[in-house]
Formats: sequence, structure tokens, C-alpha cells
Amino acid sequence: MSDTVKLQDAANGRAPAPSRQILALGVIAVLAALLPLVASDYQLRFVAEILIVGAAVLSLDLLVGYGGLVSLGHATLFGGAAYAAAVASRSLGADLTLMVGIGTLTGMVMAFITGIVVMRTIALFFLILTLIVGQIFWEIAFHWRDVTGGADGMRGLPTLSLNLGVTKLDLSSSFALYVTAAVLAFAAWAVARSFVNAPIGRALIGTRERQLRMSALGYDIARIRMMALLASGAIAGAAGSLYPFVNQYIGPNSMQWTFSAMMVVMLVIGGVGSLYGAFIGTAVYLGIQTYISSYTDRWQLVVGLIFVLTVMIMPRGIVHGVGSLFGGKGKQ
Amino acid sequence: MSFYLVQILNALSFSMLLMLTGLGLSVVLSLLNFVNLTHGSSFLLGAYVSIWWLGSGAPWWLAFPVAFLASALAGLVLERFPFRQFYTRTHLMQVLLTYGLSVIFADLMRWGFGAQIASPELPEILSGVIFVFDMPFPIYRLFIIVFGAVLALALWFVIDRTIWGAVVRACVTDRRFVETLGLDTKRIFTIVVAVAAGLGGLSGALGAGVLSAYPGLDEEQLILALIVVVVGGLGTFRGTVLSALLLGFTMTFTKVWIPEMSNVAALAIMALMLVIAPQGLVARKVRQV
Repeated sequence: MSDTVKLQDAANGRAPAPSRQILALGVIAVLAALLPLVASDYQLRFVAEILIVGAAVLSLDLLVGYGGLVSLGHATLFGGAAYAAAVASRSLGADLTLMVGIGTLTGMVMAFITGIVVMRTIALFFLILTLIVGQIFWEIAFHWRDVTGGADGMRGLPTLSLNLGVTKLDLSSSFALYVTAAVLAFAAWAVARSFVNAPIGRALIGTRERQLRMSALGYDIARIRMMALLASGAIAGAAGSLYPFVNQYIGPNSMQWTFSAMMVVMLVIGGVGSLYGAFIGTAVYLGIQTYISSYTDRWQLVVGLIFVLTVMIMPRGIVHGVGSLFGGKGKQ
Repeated sequence: MSFYLVQILNALSFSMLLMLTGLGLSVVLSLLNFVNLTHGSSFLLGAYVSIWWLGSGAPWWLAFPVAFLASALAGLVLERFPFRQFYTRTHLMQVLLTYGLSVIFADLMRWGFGAQIASPELPEILSGVIFVFDMPFPIYRLFIIVFGAVLALALWFVIDRTIWGAVVRACVTDRRFVETLGLDTKRIFTIVVAVAAGLGGLSGALGAGVLSAYPGLDEEQLILALIVVVVGGLGTFRGTVLSALLLGFTMTFTKVWIPEMSNVAALAIMALMLVIAPQGLVARKVRQV
């Protein structure tokens, strides 16, 4: 029963009245354009961070929402790309296209390595295996002090710029950073959406819903999942490449599994399987973290309570369409 | 030679801790098909309670039952609400709920017990060392090995050889059928969850003597326990014991041989096990249709 509903939803999601969607996009674009007029420098930088982390959470949604693959190693792709960009920027300078290129590539390579290892597992096994692989990457980054700075992380990075051939555009101001992040977020959403709507995305949903039937139909499940992982890694990597330049700092926490868990929390608060929900969840989480923590030390308590309440009260509304994420095992 | 004997004893004591923590998780997973990520919180709670008890001057040996009871009580309350509502949900929802709860508990414990590292004042009989072929070995670790082995044996005996264990195992196979026999399975579930949480607390109390207690220990232990349970094969007693030994020995010996990269090596070995046996070392037979 719920499966049919989900498939219909997915089918509806393909083209829910184009005119309304264009309207929604237009409203968002206008709001995004108006924001710099009212927001302070600090707030703009904060929104940029939300957009960047949100893009990474969105890439996680590809796996969780459409593939039914809950990963606890996603921060590794994001943080790994961030480290790669930060390390490269020291010797090559922080050119935007170069950074995003390096980040995307790093994200994909790490996703590929992860993919080879986790390919045969699903459900809880997938969860733990991605966690283990992620922690291995984290340990390497943590102990490789000469390159990554170890526990201290990396500071004093060059500021972000964009080489236009004739002139060099400085992107270090909050406004420029905000625009860059907004462009990246939109691109990430567009790429993820076209992936989901392409045949490969449909097939991915198929592997989530009926794995056995899909392989009986001749689909190569491992290949489909690998493609999803690569797409997800590319987006997470592109987002990660900008992350060090928000605060001119990158630390090992950005690769740790707790950050992966945070991403899952953001995704669930926002809504799984909707793509744009990732940005909402990220905004809620980071908003609580930033603003409540200035009032009380107990902000983690608040985040935990909100998260638990979301899971308990709105499991259908917010986590719409993930009923049988774990192969329906819990349903029996 | 004696150096390696001491290392083997070290590995054994660490494996015992892993096994006890893992068993609590494993029992709940096999009986209720419920993933309880608050198990790390039970561990930390047990550790804090035992440290507090040992510092209070009361008879030291009572610290372990008290830690068990404290965590079991917390488990009992949690089982009533909200675990019970989530038994029929997917693993993902259970993971999310219990992870959220563990975040809350972590912050509450940081609030209540402070953020600094707390170590227990061990009683005289457990502190100090004995000499194994001229190599000093802490008595406390020996105590962990013996205590853990006895407890695991007792648990195995109860589950495998007594009528209560038979009832629990019957619930795993067919809950409805057990109910037609006039047994209240809800109550059985409550007891199992409480005992499992108590086991978590007990391993925390035992582990506090070696690991101390500090914010973040709950997550560390939870991850290790999860790895043990998953690599062992979900909810199988033998698998959990096997993989606890495997993880304990690899982590101890990689620390001896390659201290810088010990965690990487140990994690890589566990990952390799999962790649070779994606369903765990001891897989439950599941019909796939």
C-alpha cells in the first residue's frame, strides 16, 4: 500500500505543474536577491555556510531519500574534499573553478573507494560499513599532521578568487561568498534533480523499493548504486571545496562521523526525499546551534529534543516517502 | 614471551568489555528487531554511577549492581515511552529516534556529572598489579576478564538453558504464538530492554576502571558496540562473542605493532570482514522473497 503511494509521489515529483514550480523558483530567487540588502555581513556569511552544508546534505538525500542507503560516512566526502581544496589552495592559490574542480574530483574518488567497499551491503550493514570507511579516512586526516595539521586543522588559507582571464575577481567579501554559495546550492539542486528524474534516478528508486525484482529485470544494482554514490560524492565534494573559505579554517571535525550523523539529522528535520528539504533542515539545525548557543550551553539538548519530536510527531509528514528504507525489515 | 602473554590478557580484558556492551545491543536487536543507540548512554550512565558510588565510601562491590539497576531503570522507563511505539517502525526510524535520545542524554549527563574526566577510586583489593612471568599486570583487568566471562556464561545459560530463555527465544521466532500461550509478550519485551540497558550500565561500571568516564565516551563505546554487533551478524550470540574477540585482539595488537595507525588497521580489518561476509560472521538465515 505505502509502496504504491510512494511510487505515485515519486512520479508526481517528476513534473508537479511546471508553472507553479517556476513561480516558486522565482520567489526564492527574488528573496535571495533581496537578502543582501537587509542582512549584515555576519548573517550573509552564515547563510553562505547554510547553503554550502545544505548542498552536502542534499547530496546525502540522493542516497537516503532515493536509494534507501543511509550513510554515516557522508561527512568524509564533504570534509575530504574540503581538505583537498585547502591543501591545494596553499600552493596553487584559491581560484574558484580550480577549487570546485579539485573538490568535485576528490569527492568522486572518495565516493568510488567507499562504493567499492560497501557495494554488497544494505541497511544496517551499509550504515556501519560507511561509518568504518569514513572513520578510516578521518584517522588518516587526523594523523597526517604534515599535510592536514592534525587536530589543529588548517588556518591562514588564501582568500577565494575567480580568475576571469583578463581580471581576477576577489571573492573574500561576505557578499561574494554568499553569491558563490547560492550559485553552488542552485547548481547542486539542479544536478541532483536531473539525476533523480533521469532513468538512472528512477532505477535507483526501483532498487530501494524492490531490489529482487529490479535484478530480475536485468538491472545491475551495484552499478546503479555506484552511480548514485558518485553523483552524491561529486555534489558533496563541490560543496566541500568551498567550506574552508567560509571561515578560512578547516578542521578534522568536518570529516568525523558525528558530522555525518548531524547531516542525517538535518536531512530528517528538513524532509527526506525532497531535495530542497535539505536546505531547510540545515538552516534549522545551524540556526539553533548558532543562536541558541549564545543563550544557553544546553543547545545540544534543544537540538536533540527538536529532532526527537520531529521523528515522533511528524514521521510521515517530514520523512515522507521513506517507509521501507531498510528493505521493509522493520515492518514485519 | 611474557610480553605477549600480557598483551593477550590485555586484549582479552578489552574484548570482554566490548562483548558485554555488544551483548546488550545484540539481545535487543535479535528479540525486538530494535536498534537501540541509547546503549552508549547506558554505558556512560553506569560508569558515572559506579564512580559516584565508589567515591561515596559505601561497600565497593555494590557499585556494580547499583550501576546495573540505575541503567536498567532508565531502560525500563524508555521502553514504556517512546521505544514501544517504534518496534514496528523501520530500522531507520529507530536509529533516528534513539540517536536523538542519545544526544539528549549526552547533554544531560554533561550537565549533571560535569565535562571533566572522572576516574573511580578503586578499592584496594582491585588496584595494584600481579606479576605474570615477571611482567606486571593490573589486577583490575584480570577482574574484568573473570567477571565478564562469568557474566557472559550466565547470560548464555539463562538464554539457552532455562525456561525464561526459552520464552524469550520463542518470542523471537513467533511473538503471536507465544501470546496465544497466555504470556504477556509486552512485559517480556520490557524486561529484556531493561536487562539489556542494565548490561550496558554494568559494562560501563566495569569499563570505568580502565577508561574513566567523560562526555563522548558514550559515542565511542556505542560505535565500537555497533561494529561488534554488525560484524558478528545481527543479533547472534556466537557472532557477537567472536567479533568482540576479533576487535579486541586487533585493536590491542595493532596498538603494540603500529601505534600511529592502530585504529586505521583495526577498522580496516573489521571492514574487510564485512566485505567478505556482508551479513556478518554468523548470519541468521533469512528467506528473501
